Amino acid sequence: MIPLLKRLGLNKYTVDQKPHIEVNTDICLTCKDKPCTVSCPAGTYEALPDGRIAVHYERCLECGGALVICPFNAIKFRFPEGGVSYNYG
Amino acid sequence: MSFDADLIIVGGGLSGLSAGITAVKEGLNVILLERGEYSGAKNVSGGRMYVHALLKLIPDALERAPLERPITKETFEFYCDNKKKLTISFEEKEKKNSYTVLRAKFDRWLASEAESLGLLISYSTLVLNVYRENGGITLETNRGVLKTPLVIDASGVTSIVFRSLGLRRFTPDKWMLGVKEIVKTDLNLPEDEGEVRTIVGLIKGVKGGGFVYTNKDTLSVGMAVTFDSLPKSEFPAKDLVEGFRERLGIEGEILEYSAHAIPYFGYKNLQQLYAENLIAVGDSAGFLINDGFTIRGMDLAIGSGIIAGLAAKKIIEMKDFTKTNIYYDMLKESFVLKHLELAYSRFELLNKAYVLNTYPEVLCNLLSDMFTVTEERKTLIDDALLRLKEKGISLSQALRDILSVAK
Repeated sequence: MIPLLKRLGLNKYTVDQKPHIEVNTDICLTCKDKPCTVSCPAGTYEALPDGRIAVHYERCLECGGALVICPFNAIKFRFPEGGVSYNYG
Repeated sequence: MSFDADLIIVGGGLSGLSAGITAVKEGLNVILLERGEYSGAKNVSGGRMYVHALLKLIPDALERAPLERPITKETFEFYCDNKKKLTISFEEKEKKNSYTVLRAKFDRWLASEAESLGLLISYSTLVLNVYRENGGITLETNRGVLKTPLVIDASGVTSIVFRSLGLRRFTPDKWMLGVKEIVKTDLNLPEDEGEVRTIVGLIKGVKGGGFVYTNKDTLSVGMAVTFDSLPKSEFPAKDLVEGFRERLGIEGEILEYSAHAIPYFGYKNLQQLYAENLIAVGDSAGFLINDGFTIRGMDLAIGSGIIAGLAAKKIIEMKDFTKTNIYYDMLKESFVLKHLELAYSRFELLNKAYVLNTYPEVLCNLLSDMFTVTEERKTLIDDALLRLKEKGISLSQALRDILSVAK
């Protein structure tokens, strides 16, 4: 299995200065299942031992899933100015 | 009130470009906003296009468009458990009805066609906010503010314009996640042949299936599953395509890894398609057909784009931007809504959680019994009833499901 980061590294990214994803991690503390961590195809959301979520916004594949993944509206997502671009699509 | 254009199209994918090409041919003053550096830079699709709508837009497209391969072979594979698999395959040589495409190449070509017809495309332009003002729509972008009386929202499944105006409500069961890898490979196939494999049941827990498409010298390998089923999957979303590809035994250099959300509304659950000053096309309108045999989005995108371009002309001529229902009326008369409606019973059937798992398993067990000869032998119908009963499905339920396929 090719590690995720190596797979993501195949794409071209222009990383924005400001994150295009913001997470209210206080809400994450109350979320047991943390569906964002299993439902994001880029591993953008990582569960931390303290019960919060770390966001690796630079990995984002811009699938749009963040708009429906979180059942508690803890994730604020807008499309980045730069972001990922595809050669094949 | 002065406007920057008669019509602004948000999104330079298939639906936006088709609307733009049509509107420019109709003589409208149009601006198209595309957030990628080029059309196709942000697009991801499984990669199969039924070309009838494209040929309406560009009649000689088959000679000129960067298509990959015509699909001449369809294979459906159902994995019942680790040991049983049912395969159905159909070949039709010289068929030119659908082609594999790579969107970064294809959309770029279509955009160049549109630009040569006079469509103004503003690249790297991201719409940040949308609001109504003075009888029109104001679009705030990273490159400044634009005002127009009519917008075609072709921004994809997340429909930025409709969403900003509070006209979209999303739930995870109505969205699928598509994940895909492009794998370099040596295909031992003549240039005018291509295969689509649809694979169900190989990855347990998820609602949806996988695909392998043959491109010119690569394979598109991917899965499309509902977001709400992902927490039950054998693999987390980030490893889904890897697990799938490895189980299929496909090897080769991986060239790209991509993902995209897919609208999964179905005819009866479609979101609002038009509002004052506003029209939705393609994925932004939720136009996807999955009837189990064909999965279509691209022809619906092009078809709805063409209709939106024609409707825009009528609306602008009338100078009444409340009359966007003209678009819907034209859509109802077209293949787009007719096919969506026709496909709905099968779409609904596939949406039932048990269908993609249970029926293939029942069929596999039946076939296994048929090919096993011992002294104990039941009639086929008795065996079928027993196998259905094991799964808790009544005969009447099975008949209802079978009939909905025939609709």
